[in-house]
Formats: sequence, structure tokens, C-alpha cells
Amino acid sequence: MGLIEFAAAKALASSAVFLFITLLMMAAAKRISTCIILFSTQSAIMAAEILALAYAGKSAEAYAVAALVIVVKVVAIPYALFRIVKDLKASQDVASSTTGAQSVFIMAGLILLSFHVVVPYAKTLRLDEDLLAAAVALLLAGAFLMVSRKKALMQVIGLLVLENGIFLAALTTTYGMPLVIEIGIFFDLLMGVFLMGLFVFRIRDTFEHLDVSKLRRLRG
Amino acid sequence: MTLLLLLLVPFCAALIVLTCKEPERAVRVAIAAGTLQMVAIANAVWRIRSAGVVQFGRYLRADGLTAFFLLNIAVILALVLVYSIGYLRHIPAGRFSSPRWFYSLTFLFTFTMIAVYLSASLGMLWICVESTTLASALLVGFYNTKGAVEAGWKYLVVCTVGIAFALFGTIALYLAAVKSGVNPASALDWSVLMNAAPGLAATRDLVKLSFVFVAVGYGTKIGFVPMHSWLPDAHAEAPTPISAMLSAALLNCALYALLRFDTITSHAIGSAFSHTLLLIFGCLSITVAALLMVVQRDLKRLLAYSSIEHMGIVALGIGIGGPLGILGALLHTFNHSIAKSLMFFTAGSVRESFGTLRMRRIHGMARSVPFTSAGLVVGALAIAGMPPFALFISEFMILTAAFTASRYFIAILLLLVLSVVFGALLHHVQRMLAGKRTEEPARLKPLPSQFAVMGICTTYLIVFGICIPRVFANLLQRALVVLQ
Repeated sequence: MGLIEFAAAKALASSAVFLFITLLMMAAAKRISTCIILFSTQSAIMAAEILALAYAGKSAEAYAVAALVIVVKVVAIPYALFRIVKDLKASQDVASSTTGAQSVFIMAGLILLSFHVVVPYAKTLRLDEDLLAAAVALLLAGAFLMVSRKKALMQVIGLLVLENGIFLAALTTTYGMPLVIEIGIFFDLLMGVFLMGLFVFRIRDTFEHLDVSKLRRLRG
Repeated sequence: MTLLLLLLVPFCAALIVLTCKEPERAVRVAIAAGTLQMVAIANAVWRIRSAGVVQFGRYLRADGLTAFFLLNIAVILALVLVYSIGYLRHIPAGRFSSPRWFYSLTFLFTFTMIAVYLSASLGMLWICVESTTLASALLVGFYNTKGAVEAGWKYLVVCTVGIAFALFGTIALYLAAVKSGVNPASALDWSVLMNAAPGLAATRDLVKLSFVFVAVGYGTKIGFVPMHSWLPDAHAEAPTPISAMLSAALLNCALYALLRFDTITSHAIGSAFSHTLLLIFGCLSITVAALLMVVQRDLKRLLAYSSIEHMGIVALGIGIGGPLGILGALLHTFNHSIAKSLMFFTAGSVRESFGTLRMRRIHGMARSVPFTSAGLVVGALAIAGMPPFALFISEFMILTAAFTASRYFIAILLLLVLSVVFGALLHHVQRMLAGKRTEEPARLKPLPSQFAVMGICTTYLIVFGICIPRVFANLLQRALVVLQ
């Protein structure tokens, strides 16, 4: 077996585990910049997996998608988020409403839950159980990060993790959607992050803080 | 080509209007582009009427349902553009808040909504619905006040998460189609899916899973309870013409997306599952929204909750099904959009002359601003579903459908809700109309163009309440055929 086949097989076999590790580390992370790096790592793992799939399936479209993931999710979005963090000059704390240990335990629970959920589907559709579970876990983890972290930027990161989950679900079940659709989704994502960044600055300028749990003028 | 033109006009308009530094020029460019867009839409609707289905390339497609909703958006755009001429006097010159930015974003918003209607593929549809959020978020936060920024942020985050669920649902349907042997390259085109739908029955669970996610996802955008939290804030904090557009065009746009999925799901696994889900969302929405309408203090929030209630009624109409139910639902989307625009326009004029939208601080409207008051009364009666206004007809159709389908619980709930809504609107409106004016005299007099728009809405509501013109009925019929 050549080196490339070996790498591809390894990437397919172990990417789910690495994704779980990034999730647990994200739950434990106390600084926003750590979370950004973890998000970038997570996307890089997914890119590796897509490359492996592309190699196994000899599909040119999959190579293009992998390139998109690397450009948009591994480099561009994390870079933009770092710029925002730097320009905001605000504290780096994620302002979690659960303690670090609690978060890690909740995250572990979510991962177990996602395995429990996907088993019947994986059986009937004859799909890889680990990756499907990883996709659902990313979805749940993103939602968890969004509700438990009070900083506006962490909500953006939570959303990105959630989106990664959906992307992984598409990838493992159907080997991705048609390329044009994929490009459109990436474009939307990029614009969404750009706009959210804009709003983060506006929140800072009008409220002089970034704690979204204190945004409660509009109720009822 | 006809279809491409529909997208090119607003897109170019959005770019051109940005170069106009003086407000007057921006207004003129916007009106010209709006007129051009009307012509383009009329042409497209005409083409669709004669050809049935119009297709451009692989990604643009329009049929009877599209034509119906295109007409809706054309009417709303025209009303909003004319109303904005007067309303723009309020926009202070800020970095992003000037008339040219307002118009540019409005045209971009229109562009994305029309793109939703023209998408031939469910993936494209998703991309376009998500872009409507992105295009309108800046408009919601346009005033840059604390409330507006908060509403914009909430809108952006809640809707993006909601729509992400719809993407998951779309993928699930795609998977079901691919597993059932549809060619992966075209397994997202709704025309292909419609034909292949009976074959999807083998992957029943996946189709169900997909519809649940899509209903929650696009339901967030439609404003179904319990995913409605963004809606009142966004409607209340956006500039008034945009509130009208959100309520009258955007909600219908999301509803259109759900309708496409509903039709495919019904063809694949029977209508029982998807329609029950819609009935549940509909019942929840009308009940919660009606009760919350009673306790509202801000006029625009009251209207926003009324939008949730009406979207619930539309969901009920589709959920009950049958030609009458669906016809009622489609007609109701159109009627509601006109009545709600009228209400938002009057709310804008109230803000202009009273400087507030707090209903408790507004008194003596009937004497000091008779025309606006007349608009308010007509609008309130119309959205409460009183005859002789158009919404009475569509609500009556939905109720009749409910009784004929022996859905007595839903029919009675709907009747109860309608009476609560009527009481709430009457209570709020009469308190504003009666009494003596306590605030300082009028700050700004509304322009004739604003009254003209209100007049057009009123005329529509009365005419369509008495008899529906044949051309329109024909259009409605063609939209209905697509859904069956």
C-alpha cells in the first residue's frame, strides 16, 4: 500500500475521533481565540476527510469542495474572526454560563446521545456510523455553544460549528451536494459571518459591551 | 431570458442607486428601477400564463405558483417604493444610513426574494432564502439605535440557525431521492422531485425526517410559534416600509419554500403527515399570537403578532387541504400582504404625526389626523376579517374547508381566535382614536403619495372583498393546479 492510500484510509477511519476531540476541547476552552483555532482545526480535519473521499472516489468535484473548505473555513473565516477579536480590544473570556468541567461533561453526553440517535439510521442506510454520529454531535455542540456562551462572537462560532455538522452530514450521507449548491452555501456562510461581524461592532458601539445575555430590551 | 431580466433589474438597481449621493436622485433612480421591475414582472407573469412553465437554463424555473407570488411581490414593491418617498425624510445621514443605502439594500432584498421564487432547485432555494436574511438584516438594524441593533442581531442569528435546520432537511430529502434512484445531479430540482415523488415512498422515514426539519427551518422564517421570537422585534424596529416588506413579502417567500416541500412530501408519502404538522404549527401560532396581541403596547409589535396569526391561518388552510382550503390559503397570503402593508403604512404616518408608537400615549387620532385614522380603521377591520373586506372571503373559505373536512376542533379554535383578535384590535384602535390629543402638534405632515398608497390598499381590500376579478381568479387557479 502506498503512502497516499495509507493516509487516506487513516483520515477516513480516524477523522470522527479527532472531531470529537476538538468538540471536547472547545467545551473546555476559556478564551475566544482558542475556540477560533479549534474551529479552524475542525474544518481542517473535515478537509482532510474530503480529500480522502475525493481520492477514494476519484471525483474532481470533491477536490474542489476540499479546496473551498480550506480557503473559506480553515483560513478566511478564522482570519476574519481573529481580526474582529483584535479590533474589538475586548476581553477574551467566552463568558460561559456553565463551568469548564460541566461543559465538558455536557459535551460528552451530547456525543453519546448522537451515537444513540444515529444507530438505526446508519443501519438501514448502510452508512458509516462514526461519521454520522460526529455530524449530529457537531450540530448539537454548536447549538449548546450558542445557548451557553454569552459573548456575541461565541454565538457566531457556535453557528459555524453547527453548520460544520450539517456539512458533514451531507458529506457522509450523499458524498456532498452538487458543486454549484455547495459553492452557494459557502458564499452565504461567508456573507453571514461578515454581517455578524458587522453587527458585533455595532453591538459594541451602541451597548458598550458584547454580552448578548444583557440584550433584553425587546421582550414580549 | 424573461426570468433573468427579473433578477438583473433589481440587482443593477441596487448598484446604480448606491452611486447617487443626493437623496432626490436616489429616489428618482429607485422609482425608475421599480417601474422597470413592474414591467418585467408583468411580462414574466404573462409569459407563464400562456406557456405554463418557463425555464431558463438549469437553475431558473417558473410556473403558476411562481407567477402568483411574483405578482404579490410586484405589488408590495410598488407600494413600498411610493410610500418610501415620503418616509425617507426621517433617515438621518449616517455612514450606512442614508437614502441610497436604504434603496440599495431594499433592491438587494427584492432581488433575493425574487430569486427564491425563480429557483429551480431546492438547494438554490435554500441559498436564496438564506440570502434574504442576510440582505434584510442590515435593513432591520438600519436606524442603529439600541433596539434596532438588538433586533437585527436577533434576526440574523435566529433565522440563520433556523434556516440551517432547513438545509439539513433539504439534504435528507436529497439523500432520499438519491437512494431511490434519482440521478444525483438533478435530485434537487423540484420538477424532477415532483415526478419522482411516488418512488420516494420506499424511504418513508427519511422523507418524514426531512419535512420535520424543513418545517422547523422555513417555519422559523415564516414566524410559526414557537420559532417566532425574531419576528416582533424585527418588524417593530425596522423602518416602516421595510416592516411592510418583511410582513407582506418575506413571510410569503418563506411560505412558498415550505409549500414546495409540502407538495413533494404529500406526493411521496401522502399528505397526512405533513399536513398534520402544519395544522399543529398553525393552531399554536394563531392561539399564542392572538393572546399576545391583547397585551401589546407598541402598534408595530401588535401588527407583527397579527402577522404571526395570519401565517398561522394560512398554515391551517394548507393543512386542512382540499381545493378550497389551499385556494383560501393562497388568497389569504395575498390579501394579508395588502392589508398588512396598509396597516404598517398607517403606523408609519402615526409615528410621523405623534412621534411615538406607544399606543397608550396616542389619543385623539380621529380628530387630529382623520385620513390616517380612516386607514387605520379600514386596516384593523380588514385584518380582523370583517366583511366587506377581502380577508373575510379567504378566512371564510378556510373555515368552510375546515367544516366540510369535519375538522371541528380547528374550525372552532379559529373562530375563537378570530373573535379574540377582533376584540384586541378594537380595544387598541378605539383607545387611539378617541379622546383629546395630549401630545404636541404634528411634527411632520404625511405626503399625498403616502395617502395615495393607503387609498390603493383600501380600494383593493374592498374590491376583492366584493368580487375577485377574473384575471386574478385565473392566476389563482393556475397556482392551485401546481399544488395538487
